[in-house]
Amino acid sequence: MRHLFHVTPSGWAGLATAAFGILVLPSLASSYWLSVFTSMGCFLLAIAGVAFMYARLGMVSLTQVGLMGVGGWIALRLNHAFDFPFEVNLALAATATMIFGWILALPALRMRGLYLALVTLMAAGGLEIIFATFQFPNGGAGFWGVQTGSGAAFRRPWIAQSPQAYLRYVIACALLGFLCIELHRRLQPGRAWALIRRSEAAAMAAGVNVTLYKTWAFGIAGLLGGAAGALLAGSLGLLDDGTFRASESVMIFALAVVGGAHSWQGALIAAVLYKVLPALLNIWGVDANLAFVIFGAGLLHAVITAPQGIAGQVLEGLGRLSPKRGAKDA
Amino acid sequence: MLEIEDVTVRFGGVVALSAVSVRFDKAVNGIIGPNGAGKTTLMNVLSGFVTPASGRVVGDGEALLPLAPHRRAHWGLRRSFQKEEIADDLTVFENVLVQIDHSRSPARTKTAEVEAMLALVGMADRAGKRGAALSGFERRLTDVAKCLVGKPRLVMFDEPAGGMSVDESRQLGRLIRQIHGTTGAQVLVIDHDVELIRSICEDTLVLDFGRRIAFGPTAEVLDDPRVKAAYLGTEEV
Ligand SMILES: Nc1ncnc2c1ncn2[C@@H]1O[C@H](COP(=O)(O)OP(=O)(O)OP(=O)(O)O)[C@@H](O)[C@H]1O
Ligand SMILES: [Mg+2]
Repeated sequence: MRHLFHVTPSGWAGLATAAFGILVLPSLASSYWLSVFTSMGCFLLAIAGVAFMYARLGMVSLTQVGLMGVGGWIALRLNHAFDFPFEVNLALAATATMIFGWILALPALRMRGLYLALVTLMAAGGLEIIFATFQFPNGGAGFWGVQTGSGAAFRRPWIAQSPQAYLRYVIACALLGFLCIELHRRLQPGRAWALIRRSEAAAMAAGVNVTLYKTWAFGIAGLLGGAAGALLAGSLGLLDDGTFRASESVMIFALAVVGGAHSWQGALIAAVLYKVLPALLNIWGVDANLAFVIFGAGLLHAVITAPQGIAGQVLEGLGRLSPKRGAKDA
Repeated sequence: MLEIEDVTVRFGGVVALSAVSVRFDKAVNGIIGPNGAGKTTLMNVLSGFVTPASGRVVGDGEALLPLAPHRRAHWGLRRSFQKEEIADDLTVFENVLVQIDHSRSPARTKTAEVEAMLALVGMADRAGKRGAALSGFERRLTDVAKCLVGKPRLVMFDEPAGGMSVDESRQLGRLIRQIHGTTGAQVLVIDHDVELIRSICEDTLVLDFGRRIAFGPTAEVLDDPRVKAAYLGTEEV
């Protein structure tokens, strides 16, 4: 209870980074980079969800981008069907995605090991097909709401109409996502997760309902994924099924491991690799497939030398420089 | 009071427990037997990690087998594992708190209870230390504190003194003997250390190849020729 609002050095660094993102970044970026950073912020939120679940419980979810698609679909659907403000659409999309994720994963959450990875991968494949077949609502008639030609307008949050303001809004949401995870980690669920990761038998013997707390973790990841999808819909005003392929879900999980699932820095590295690196390659006129080569090398690097990811290595290096603060504080 | 009736456990072709019946009614009870005798399996049945092919377990008048493992913990079952299970990234305090997190009593009451039990085992001064930084003995003491919070009814130790020095093992024995007085819980101890069993257990159950070969007051049981025979040749006791 005492530690609930304690800010670690790593926490201060995170707040400072978010402050930089909110106060400085939008005024420096061109419109190209505004859109890159905004979409990076959305994926950062989604990556925070998968990374946290992997770091805290060793659970592998391979459908996070699929869940973003679900959140985005619901946000678009609501936007074109009703007159709710953006925040209501965002909250409803995130909640509905969380429940959707539960329904997908509940059978696998009762089992250990690779089942969750397999079930979520199948779900990602199924979602890919559904999105490709039905597309995303753009103001058309009927349940699927798709019309040909240009779509209807998407209402952004009234405090974030301009691209600069919307980037700030997305970063603030990502910060809230990280704070939500950190808060859980410091309370009862965090204690239960720590024990479950140590040993499920020990957790049960300590009175922890293992299925409940795994489901809870998956729910948080779903919530963040759904919110990320709704924010992405707000950034572009429309969504394209190509964004939500199953391979993208596998990719962001792999990048979360490469970056380092245990810290916010790792999630940020993953999001930068996923969105900023291809944008840079694009500017330099290099084949975007080079990004895959770099990702692959990063994954090998992580598997071979850095179980805590790139962020783990950097933090460890910093920890060596200042003996007082270990990387464990992250 | 813990009644175990006709409990049989099979793992494929191995009969790990064969129609074991026993009624523990003393404050501190021992379970001994050679390696592979089925001691841990019996504890796993009580914890709910192993479902017996047949049999009944009744604790304080309540049938335990139908309850899910975490429900048994809520009922008052506590279990310390052969290898202590302390979460590395939680503090000593938090590791103990987990055990009563599910209870609805106010946070202040829970905090006070955790602090009291940490003081009892002698870990109060290290309450803020992280699990990863603890020595083996400190981990075991934390584990004991965890078994004491939340009004336990039955506390089980699986080889708690494994890998400990003589002094540590004595200190642990003293703590285990205090459990009944402090919490009212009945205690069940598995150990290969016959001296520890002799010094703390009133009644002792002896298992061999999954069968009950003796049960009764510890001193008598340890003098039983059948018990000596079971240990002969299997290992030095
Ligand atoms: N999960 C399992 N699957 C298959 N066989 C098992 C399992 N658990 C235990 N056994 C077998 O059941 C028998 C009893 O094992 P158990 O662990 O209960 O013995 P023990 O008395 O605790 O021994 P030790 O003193 O070595 O800890 C052994 O033959 C063991 O190999
Ligand atoms: Mg054993």
